[in-house]
Amino acid sequence: MKVLTLAIPSKGRLMQQASAVLETAGLSIARAGAERGYRGQLKGIDGIEVAFLSAAEIAQNLREGKLDFGITGADLLWEKSAAEENLVSVLAPLNFGFANVVVAVPECWLDVASMADLDEVSESFYARHGRRLRVATKYLNLTRRFFAEKGVTGYRIVESLGATEGAPAAGTAEVIVDITTTGSTLAANHLKVLDDGVILRSTAVLAASPAGLNDPRAALLQNSLKKPE
Amino acid sequence: MAGKSKAEREALERQNAAITAVFERAGFDYIAPDIIQPADIFLERSGEDIRARTFVFTDPAGAEMCLRPDLTVPACRYHLSHAEKPDEEAKYCYLGSAFRFPNEHLSPQEFLQAGLEWFAAPDAAAAEARVLKLAISALEAAGLTKFRVTLGDLGLFSALLEDTPMPTRWRNRLKHHFWRPHAFRDVLESFTTNRSAKRTSISALIDRLAKDPVADVVAQEIESKNLPLVGGRSLEEVAARLADKSADRSEAALDQAKADAITGYLNIVERADNLEGVLNRTDCGRNFNEARKYFQKRLAEMEELGLNAKRFEFKATFGRELEYYTGFVFQIEVETADGFVAVAGGGRYDNLLTDMGSPVPVSAVGCAIHTERLKAVLA
Repeated sequence: MKVLTLAIPSKGRLMQQASAVLETAGLSIARAGAERGYRGQLKGIDGIEVAFLSAAEIAQNLREGKLDFGITGADLLWEKSAAEENLVSVLAPLNFGFANVVVAVPECWLDVASMADLDEVSESFYARHGRRLRVATKYLNLTRRFFAEKGVTGYRIVESLGATEGAPAAGTAEVIVDITTTGSTLAANHLKVLDDGVILRSTAVLAASPAGLNDPRAALLQNSLKKPE
Repeated sequence: MAGKSKAEREALERQNAAITAVFERAGFDYIAPDIIQPADIFLERSGEDIRARTFVFTDPAGAEMCLRPDLTVPACRYHLSHAEKPDEEAKYCYLGSAFRFPNEHLSPQEFLQAGLEWFAAPDAAAAEARVLKLAISALEAAGLTKFRVTLGDLGLFSALLEDTPMPTRWRNRLKHHFWRPHAFRDVLESFTTNRSAKRTSISALIDRLAKDPVADVVAQEIESKNLPLVGGRSLEEVAARLADKSADRSEAALDQAKADAITGYLNIVERADNLEGVLNRTDCGRNFNEARKYFQKRLAEMEELGLNAKRFEFKATFGRELEYYTGFVFQIEVETADGFVAVAGGGRYDNLLTDMGSPVPVSAVGCAIHTERLKAVLA
């Protein structure tokens, strides 16, 4: 039997929660061998090796088919792969890692409530200032897809790899697309989420690449990790 | 295929030499615009959809550069940097590579574009007809015999809106949404009902404008919540838009018959020689009549040049997806086993040079041929 790989986040809360979910499902991880710490064996289902990677790497490697299964955030998964590409499949949403990817604008933009408002503002901003509105985000693809779907085109993405919520105050962008759990960081930075600005309601998910999906062990994993009804 | 063989390269070069010869004989200077361009012009002008497909990189000084995603903007830049007076007539042609990340249709990431741009032509209608004629002559010189031509005219659409009574900001919003059929329909519908029944998170604030001056409401809101002014827009901009939103509530709704006329116009797909009859049914005003006459004049110019323009198809929505065009647009397509393939297109884009920093307005009309697609359909 070919050994398949299940990747789980290598550090932080996501790692703890992923391990806990597996543990609860009766699938504990035995870490062993020379690569101690970064490899392990899944107990409970035969022939599944566990790899510890960053959540972003897991999403990327699933997309490229280098992994069979992975636990990562839906935000990262759909950032790396558009759903219609059919490169990855979600086997089960998991009961942790709840967060929303949202479009937020400065609170002092009292005239802006919706994406349609943002579209209009982007036009007048260009006419008045001679440059495009800048959107700071690490979610380049989610942002492009969502803005296109909403018909907003007059903007530029500024890639941001941390402290995105500070971009408007720092003057490096006017708008942000970021992940938020409670909204308190946004509020602290005087940013507000647009009425129709929720791009994605994200949770941690168990996902599979096509190779993983077509293996009978996919169903075993799925059944073990599915949230109880 | 990683590249072209000697035979493929030679065949393409032969075809393209025939194309550029047509352009040069017509008096267009064969120029070589830069391949590497400052990214800003493309990105600011095109928005994120093109940016996503443009090869952008940073030079050692931190400036954003790109590989040109098409040759029209580089030709405009060439003109602005070389011409003493940008609004003096200039005629350029070119043949060169353009670069785009493949999209979902798996288009090639580098392709050879041949084209021409005609700045500040003295007679607008004649220049538009001439550019179409040259595009067709170039394709025929390359060996193409069967094709179809689609025409559009953003001037007709703008004129129709000008003639329809509504607040200027509504008109601007409709123009802005011409490119996005769904949004256009929604906006038009919101104008005919003009009942913003849907409350939003700022409706309560707008309610207050009924009693108090907008500047006071804005100042109070900012002070009471202690909001920092970030995001690059002044409070005056914010207040002005709030006032517009408030004013929208009390505007008379757009007449349903007028809205239907706009929708009816956008549904027009007609042979060019039937168009006059169809447009007669549009209840139109002065601007639209002018635009109609101009369309007929251009059609007559095409006939004059020996084009069988009557058989071209007019499509009112044609021009969507091509944001910088401002008037006449055309596309030439060839039927293949996989459907129609566009091999050439062009039109008028009178605002682009001003947007790129020209101190004076410069009228512009041009066309481009996708030479590799042409080669493929001729094979």
